[in-house]
Amino acid sequence: MRVTVCFHSWFKDMAGCSRAEETLPPGSTVDTLVARVLVRFPKLADAQRSMLVAVGLEYRGRDCALSDGDEVSIFPPVQGG
Amino acid sequence: MKRHLTITMEPIDEASLLAGRSVSSAAGAVVCFLGMVRGTESGKAITALEYEAFERMVEHQIGLLFDVMGKRWPVESVRLVHRVGLVPVGQPSLWVEVVAPHRAEAFAACQWLIDELKRVAPIWKKPMGAGGR
Repeated sequence: MRVTVCFHSWFKDMAGCSRAEETLPPGSTVDTLVARVLVRFPKLADAQRSMLVAVGLEYRGRDCALSDGDEVSIFPPVQGG
Repeated sequence: MKRHLTITMEPIDEASLLAGRSVSSAAGAVVCFLGMVRGTESGKAITALEYEAFERMVEHQIGLLFDVMGKRWPVESVRLVHRVGLVPVGQPSLWVEVVAPHRAEAFAACQWLIDELKRVAPIWKKPMGAGGR
């Protein structure tokens, strides 16, 4: 299955792009995707403990199962207000 | 509960927002909060904050907060404006108005909404100027 990864805030700078496509095996989770992303964008490795993940518009944990066509956003802690 | 959310690149126009206020005869409290950009960030002088938002998710997440707020407190209306882009020191980045029958619930709901917004709304800020990046 194919998913789109979107980077926000300074994660975008660390990745060097705002979007990337990943092809994952069926049954993959957010954890599978994050591991793949960290290999492809190693500068993000130092930030992984503070990394937040949303699938679509909802926050999701690392065990969340992904589906073909999902848009997964990866970003640092939020700072609104 | 009436609800209105605006994410804007434009300066927050308080006069226009106040002119658009609607309060029924059942409401006895209007709490209004203005979040301003301070001149320092982590102890260093800055000239502005640059806000970035994942707007679709901000709208969704704040919508969920409005849902919870309407269930927890008898709020008549809520309006929230968050400015994004470059916001100079001394200008507001956030404006929140909560209208309710009594002050206790208006204050509590407003405080809760701002706390939760800071926790879940995907918005980021980058300090600009000597103490920034």
